[in-house]
Amino acid sequence: MRFDLSWLDEQLVDAPPADVVAERLTACGFNVELREPDAATEVWDVEVTTNRPDAMNHRGLAREAAVATGTLLKPIENGPSEEGEQAANLVSVEIEVPELCSRYVARVVRNARLVESPAWLAERLERCGVRPLNAIVDATNYVLLELGQPLHAFDLARVAGRRIVVRRAREGETLTTLDGERRDLDPSLLVIADAERPVALAGIMGGADSEIGDETVDVLLESAHFDALTVRRGARKLGMHTEASHRFERGADPEMATTAVDVAAAMIARLAGGTVCRGRVDIYPKPWRPRTLEVSMPRLSAFTGLEIDPAEAHRILDGLGFEPSLDADRVRCTVPSFRVDVERAEDLYEEVIRHVGYDAVPSQLPVLATDPGRRCGSWPLVDRARDAAVSVGLTEVVTYAFSSAEEDEAAARLPLIAGGSLPLANPLTQTQTAMRRSLLPGLLTAARANLNQGETSLALFEEGRVFGADGQAPVEKEHLAIVLAGSFGNWQDRATTSFTDLKGLVDGLIERLAFPAVSWVRDRDSWLEDAEGAVLTAAGGEVVGVAGLVSRTAAKWWDLRQPVYVAELDLSAAMDRSERPRFTELPRFPAITADMTVEHRAELAYGELLRTATELASPLVVSWELVARYSGEGLDPDMVRTTLRAVYRHPERSLLQEEVNAEQEALRSRLAAALDVRFA
Amino acid sequence: MTLERLEEARRAFLSDLEQAGGDAGAVEEVRIRYAGRRSGMLQELTAVLKTLPNEEKRDYGRELNDLKKLIEEKLKEASGGASAGTAGRRRAAIDVTLPGRRPRRGAQHPVHLVRRRIEAIFLSMGYSVEDGPEIEDDWHNFEALNIPPDHPARDDQDTFYFTDGHVLRTHTSPVQARVMERQQPPIRIIVPGRVYRRDSDLRHSPMFHQIEGLLVDEGITFGHLKATLETFLHQLFVGVDIRFRPSYFPFTEPSAEVDISCIFCNGSGCGVCSRSGWIEILGSGMVDPRVFERVGVDPERYTGFAFGLGIDRVAMLLYGIPDLRLMFSGDQRLTRQFA
Repeated sequence: MRFDLSWLDEQLVDAPPADVVAERLTACGFNVELREPDAATEVWDVEVTTNRPDAMNHRGLAREAAVATGTLLKPIENGPSEEGEQAANLVSVEIEVPELCSRYVARVVRNARLVESPAWLAERLERCGVRPLNAIVDATNYVLLELGQPLHAFDLARVAGRRIVVRRAREGETLTTLDGERRDLDPSLLVIADAERPVALAGIMGGADSEIGDETVDVLLESAHFDALTVRRGARKLGMHTEASHRFERGADPEMATTAVDVAAAMIARLAGGTVCRGRVDIYPKPWRPRTLEVSMPRLSAFTGLEIDPAEAHRILDGLGFEPSLDADRVRCTVPSFRVDVERAEDLYEEVIRHVGYDAVPSQLPVLATDPGRRCGSWPLVDRARDAAVSVGLTEVVTYAFSSAEEDEAAARLPLIAGGSLPLANPLTQTQTAMRRSLLPGLLTAARANLNQGETSLALFEEGRVFGADGQAPVEKEHLAIVLAGSFGNWQDRATTSFTDLKGLVDGLIERLAFPAVSWVRDRDSWLEDAEGAVLTAAGGEVVGVAGLVSRTAAKWWDLRQPVYVAELDLSAAMDRSERPRFTELPRFPAITADMTVEHRAELAYGELLRTATELASPLVVSWELVARYSGEGLDPDMVRTTLRAVYRHPERSLLQEEVNAEQEALRSRLAAALDVRFA
Repeated sequence: MTLERLEEARRAFLSDLEQAGGDAGAVEEVRIRYAGRRSGMLQELTAVLKTLPNEEKRDYGRELNDLKKLIEEKLKEASGGASAGTAGRRRAAIDVTLPGRRPRRGAQHPVHLVRRRIEAIFLSMGYSVEDGPEIEDDWHNFEALNIPPDHPARDDQDTFYFTDGHVLRTHTSPVQARVMERQQPPIRIIVPGRVYRRDSDLRHSPMFHQIEGLLVDEGITFGHLKATLETFLHQLFVGVDIRFRPSYFPFTEPSAEVDISCIFCNGSGCGVCSRSGWIEILGSGMVDPRVFERVGVDPERYTGFAFGLGIDRVAMLLYGIPDLRLMFSGDQRLTRQFA
């Protein structure tokens, strides 16, 4: 919020230098930023937190400055000289809903002229970001900025029946507000009405019909106190935010209503001519009642860890308007009407501590039980996944956890998503309308951006949550996704990314993450290329991953102009690694390897061949290796030769070559019986 | 079948040699690969001989010999008459300034680098690292934290809603409430995670990362809060000054913003710190007793403090990254700088 330094200074008996005030205000909770370094017209931007509506005006902030710098606040000069008729004879006020309007004060200024404000006033308003209009309206804004009380000036002649009724709007009523908008009203909105219709939105904005204008002669000034929640809900409903609503929403001071209207009336009479009528109309159905609170000095000291002098606490609370009285180690306070935020003793501790200064509190590390910290929830898993991905050479990116409608629809066609679509009720942009169900759309968008930058090799990963609707409850799952594209290697052996690269990476990650046994199965109906797409399934058949080449159709959606390989894994399939690994006795006897070249039809998947060979082989085979794969010259086009190497080892003795030969021979005949294969 | 291996080796050798062209270094590599004394392919193929059944040995041996001869001859030709594969041969000099073959190196995103650095500091002080949902209910995100419906503080945190009333958490603080609901003090936790606010410009992103901290025990004071945060900040930003300013958060009282002296101008005032010499780095305060009441912790017996900071912001400061949105652009050139 913007403040004018000279205006602030005016409120203080002896204003200290500006830099001292700025520093002390910052230290007691009002962070000051200098807007213009020119001292003569210094304007400050001060952070006033939402709980302190009382400081959202020059008087209120000056009160804090006075306590913070050890000076005093000047009394408010008011009291217009009154003459002529009684205001009560010129206007009547009725509050139909006292629970929403605890007070309504009205004054009348007669025979005012519509003039411009003097330069000093106009400048002050402008420095605080308020546009000057005419002396009458400007006076009300000036009082708002000085004392915090929102006021409204009506052209009395245009208030039908010279009657003010504070009531709920009726269904079907409309009001054109000062900003020229015609607004449909309903009973949730509080209005100021005249004898016939609404003339203002209470606490938010006046109506255009009763606005001060060229023909205005008599001015009706409103100074009221409206219910914070009603103003807040009304303003939100109508999409409005005004200086008045900002303050009423946070809580205004009902006791300031009379002073403020007096100051404004005097000011209007002075600037615009005219006379202030005798008396005020003051309807106050629910008068404010002071509350008392007690501060216990020992508790205050214990809470802060600092010994605070009761006399200092007294000075602070007195300066802030709490009328303290010291009684042994207790301070009795009366909460002033402008401090809507102070409800309990703890609130008073805060008042004292912030003015004593946080700097004064000695820092001391707590002495605590010595149990060590642990990483809980998904943290150990997701960081294990991150480390694994980095260790296989992948570069991490972080993308938004949102999807566009199109991406969300595309994700639905993937075999691995978290659940049903989860759209946001109030998205910020059209590209972020739902929660992502898969990491792939975001990662492909990132891939495109990188390729468009001219990057020639991409090996990216993202670890993050995906979301989905599962019946009633939203589901969150940790996923890891990879994208590979372009070429890798050095000048001697540069190679374009292939499915083999992707598979090697994914298998490496799965191993590092201790997934249970995973099968790679051809995937034929998502947006991966038919020929190079796979789903990864666990033993029970549940899909734990997806990997492959992005299909040409999908590549078009993402505007990818070169082959891009992707994979996504559901990290919940990974196993807990907290169990300590167990050492296995190293083999004491040498292994014997034996190769076997199998000729078979191309449709026989390697995985199937290996699985069958493993099943049928002697228990002495401890591992398998793929040595070569051949198709082409000398073979039928749909035939393949696969050379498998078996490693034989006996745990308790050296094997003889003859034993291995016999086992291999037996395996060959078993395989030939089980599968449609021949041996070269 | 084993004969086929010899045939494969022959084909591979010829193709490799052809690829090597006339380049001495490359020919030498081929020599090592096939005729090297330690692990050349000929060695390997010779070893196979011993494992063969007798009836196969003869054929295999003959073919193997042919292959040996072929390899020796071809290598000799290629290296211009120099003897190949024999001891004492002079090696062709390699241009050692040529680039080598490096394994691909991965890299972690700066946000996670910083998160883990912060976690490490707090783990060393005995804090546990907790976790919670990103899609929250209104109770944990707001009400339990003393932010009832229609509270003006809800304006400060523009919220994404779902039609069923769930929200995207606007801060990591709901995890405080969740932990206190299920566990009695002493509690000492930090909660890193993604948070969401409906806001986007140079300094705001609809998604960013926070770390929340909470310590609750008997006799915890504001002085403890100060010392803990000072210790933490001095480890993260070495050599900075620290100041605590009163502020307001609905879930703490008293509340404090914590500033560090500007790490770019050392506090003398610059564009980054808006000429104030200070940079706001975290929000903190003593847990409001109303929060304790709401989550079932006895406010008469326990006090505590809580704090929160933006991880992205710390990363931007530590590494000098100018634009928050760059962090989530997916641009690998950002992450590669932290490889």
